[in-house]
Parts: sequence; structure tokens; C-alpha cells
Amino acid sequence: MLEIKNLHASIAGKEILKGLNLTVHEGEVHAIMGPNGAGKSTLSNVLTGHPAYTVTAGEVFFRGKNLLTMSPEERAREGMFLSFQYPVEIPGVSMVNFMRTAVNEKRKHEGKPALSATDFLKLMREKKALVGMDNRLTKRSVNEGFSGGEKKRNEIFQMAMLEPCLSILDETDSGLDIDALRIVAEGVNALKTPHTASIVITHYQRLLDYIVPDFVHVLADGKIVRTGGKELALELEDKGYAFLNEKP
Amino acid sequence: MLNEIILHPGEHREIILLNEPDTNWHIIQEANSTLLLYVIALPHPNDEVQWHTAITVEHKATGCKTEMYGLALLHSQQQHHLTTRVLHNVGGGYSSQLFKFVLDDESKASFKGELKIMPDAQQVEAYQTNRNILLSRQAEMTTEPQLEIYADDVKASHGATTGQLDDSALFYMQQRCISRETARKLLLCAFFEDVLRTLPNEQMQEDIVEKINEYIG
Ligand SMILES: Nc1ncnc2c1ncn2[C@@H]1O[C@H](COP(=O)(O)OP(=O)(O)O)[C@@H](O)[C@H]1O
Ligand SMILES: [Mg+2]
Repeated sequence: MLEIKNLHASIAGKEILKGLNLTVHEGEVHAIMGPNGAGKSTLSNVLTGHPAYTVTAGEVFFRGKNLLTMSPEERAREGMFLSFQYPVEIPGVSMVNFMRTAVNEKRKHEGKPALSATDFLKLMREKKALVGMDNRLTKRSVNEGFSGGEKKRNEIFQMAMLEPCLSILDETDSGLDIDALRIVAEGVNALKTPHTASIVITHYQRLLDYIVPDFVHVLADGKIVRTGGKELALELEDKGYAFLNEKP
Repeated sequence: MLNEIILHPGEHREIILLNEPDTNWHIIQEANSTLLLYVIALPHPNDEVQWHTAITVEHKATGCKTEMYGLALLHSQQQHHLTTRVLHNVGGGYSSQLFKFVLDDESKASFKGELKIMPDAQQVEAYQTNRNILLSRQAEMTTEPQLEIYADDVKASHGATTGQLDDSALFYMQQRCISRETARKLLLCAFFEDVLRTLPNEQMQEDIVEKINEYIG
């Protein structure tokens, strides 16, 4: 589904990703862990096409297509979804208008007709229930005045609405209490199919108790420096990132 | 052209200036009258059109209320210069002004807002806000608020900002499958939202939104 080869990327002239390789197949869950500043959010931003980043070398294929020549909206319509580490507030744009536009743009791309008002509201209701999203929140402007936890839940709600094939969750767990974390994780698990995949970026082992990864990667200094199974997350939790410097 | 108007005691008047060429209004408000006034400049086929609008409102007696709103979307070499003067001669009055400009290409606009509260005009509330978005580097906005407050028991404020469309919001929407053009439309309509929703006429709200969408689209 996703193939990243020797990816180098920079922001403001500073190289952050320094030769990153990663392959994700359908049905897999990959966790990416790593110290602050390692480049985890940079990877999410580069994959989704944030204009502030420049790819200086390497290739990325997403569902067989060259990802790097696609606009951010094309990547999204092809099924790539980012749950932002810091979701953006958009005063004056209602959640309903935003979601209806988003869902219908995706449907258009897939050659499907726009949803009727009734069907759209039904879909909203269904997905709100799935992720435990408060009615109160979908009546407001996008993320405006939401608490940190509410913003994260809203990301998962949008993910449920758009049904992406590849979801990248950038520290969706930070700022969530254990109940909210469980609901978010249950939402993610409920959306999992044999044809979807996820990249879960996290600092903490605890999210991985709920979303069980097939692979755990450690990202440090712009590269994947270690890959293992889910036991690697436990080891990191236990020993910190310092042990990576010891030769295995 | 000078339009002189007197609002009689208790009268309510709505004035909507939509793509109105040069005008100069002098409105005198008698006791307990209310004025709701709009200055709207929407995309226009004449790339070099210039609008000069001057509005003076005078509160002659107590209990007057004035609300003025404006929105403008200019492009090419268009210019829109708006001057307002609100004179609170007596106490117990209320005035609010909210003017929003979006400037594209090499368009230019200015807002001069004079707000005067005379010494005997106690317990006046007077607000003035001007917010602007520049869509191009060549566009130019000038804001000159001028507050003269001679009474001490009043509530008055003014604020002016000029910025760009929020890039992080544009990217967020693109990440949700929305094209950059549509995202810009949504943000511009959101920017004008607090003016649009006050319009007394719903059809007019829709027409304006459509004009904005057509322009970006
Ligand atoms: N706008 C920017 N300009 C310059 N450097 C930046 C910018 N944004 C992020 N960086 C740098 O990129 C590095 C990686 O950041 P990031 O990808 O956010 O790390 P992580 O998500 O792993 O904590 C950090 O050293 C950070 O300071
Ligand atoms: Mg980060």
C-alpha cells in the first residue's frame, strides 16, 4: 500500500528526514516511536503533502502511484488520512458544512454521487455513535473551542466519516485520559479491515495495549533505526531510547 | 451625491449600499431611532472601478442606536475608500461598526473611522472593528481609526487587523479531500460570516455567498 524509499526531506533549509525506508502492506498496523524532534510529525506532513516541506531525495508510492507528485487533496481522496498532532481550529466553518464538503469531494473522486442531506445526516449519526462524539460538538465550527481531547476525538470521527485506506495517527493519544484513549482506540479498531492499514505515531506503550501493532519502528535522527514486533515497544518503555545506542 | 436623511423619533431605517458608486450620506438620528446600514462591494466587471463612500451619523437626541456593517471583495485595480463619522452628541446612545475587506490582485482600500463622543454624552456605548485579508502581496489596505472621547462614563473600543488566509486551515481542509479553491471559499465565507448573518434579508445573504463563490471558483 505504501512504499517509502530513501526519503530525505527538509524544512526551512534544515534536513529532518535523512534516508527513511518503510513499507506498509494492507491489513498491517505499524507503530512509530521515537524521541521528540526525531522527525515523526515531519514524516506525517511530508506524506500528506504539507507545502512547507521539501523532499530532496527518495521516492514514495501509495497504492502503486507516485505520491510525491500529487496535491494534498489528491492524496487524501486516494485514501490517505492524517489525524493531526495539533488539529486546526476553523472559526466560521461549521462541522456539518466541512464534513459534507469533504465526504462529497471524496465520493466524487470515487465516481459516486453526492450524498443526499438525509443520507449524510444518517452517516454523521452513525459515525458519531461509533467514536462517542458529542452532538454538541458537531454543531460548532471546526474544532473551535474544543478541548484537547475533543479535538483528538474529532480527528477519529472525521476518519470514520472518510473511511481512509491508510490512516496516520500522529500522537492521537497525547492529552487523552485513559477512557478517551480507549474509545479512540476502539474507534480505530472498528474501522480496521483487511484492506486498510495504519501508522500509529506515539510516545507511549499504553496506546499499543489497545491498538496492537504488527511492527514497531523507532525513528531517530530522521531514520528508522530499529524495527521489531510489539515487544519492542515494551522494551522502549522499560529502558528508554538510550539503549538504542548500545549495539544489539 | 449628498444624501441627507433625518430619522424621526422612534423610526427604524435600513440602508443597504450594494456596489453603490460614490456616495456621501449624512444621517441625523432623533430620539430612540435605529439605523442599520450596510456598505457592500462585491466583485465587479469593471477592473478599475473606484468607490468612495462617506457616511456621517449624528445622534441628536438620547436613545439612538446605530449599527453599520460592511464587506468588500475587491480585485484587479479596484479601489474602495470608506470613511465613517459617528458623532455621539448626547448620552445614552449606542453605535457599532464592523467592516471587513478582502483584497486580491492590486486592489486598494482604506477605512477611516472617526468616532466622537462629546463631553455631555455620558453612558454611550461605541464600538468599531475593521478586519482585512490580503489575498495577494500587491494588495494594500490602510486603516485609520480616529477616536475622540470627551465623556468619561462610556464604553468604547476599536480594533483593526490585516492578515492573510490561514495556511494551516487551508492545509487541514486539503487533508480532508477539499480542494484548495473550495477551502479558500469556505474560509472567505467564514471570514464574512459575522457580517452576513446580520443581513435582514436571507435571499441577499445567499446572493452574496454565491458572488463570493463565483469569484474564487
Ligand atoms: N518550521 C520549522 N522550521 C525549522 N525547523 C522545524 C520546523 N518544524 C519542525 N522543525 C524541526 O524539525 C525537527 C523534527 O520535528 P518533528 O517532525 O515535529 O518531530 P517529532 O514529531 O518527532 O517530535 C525538530 O528538530 C524541529 O525543531
Ligand atoms: Mg510530533
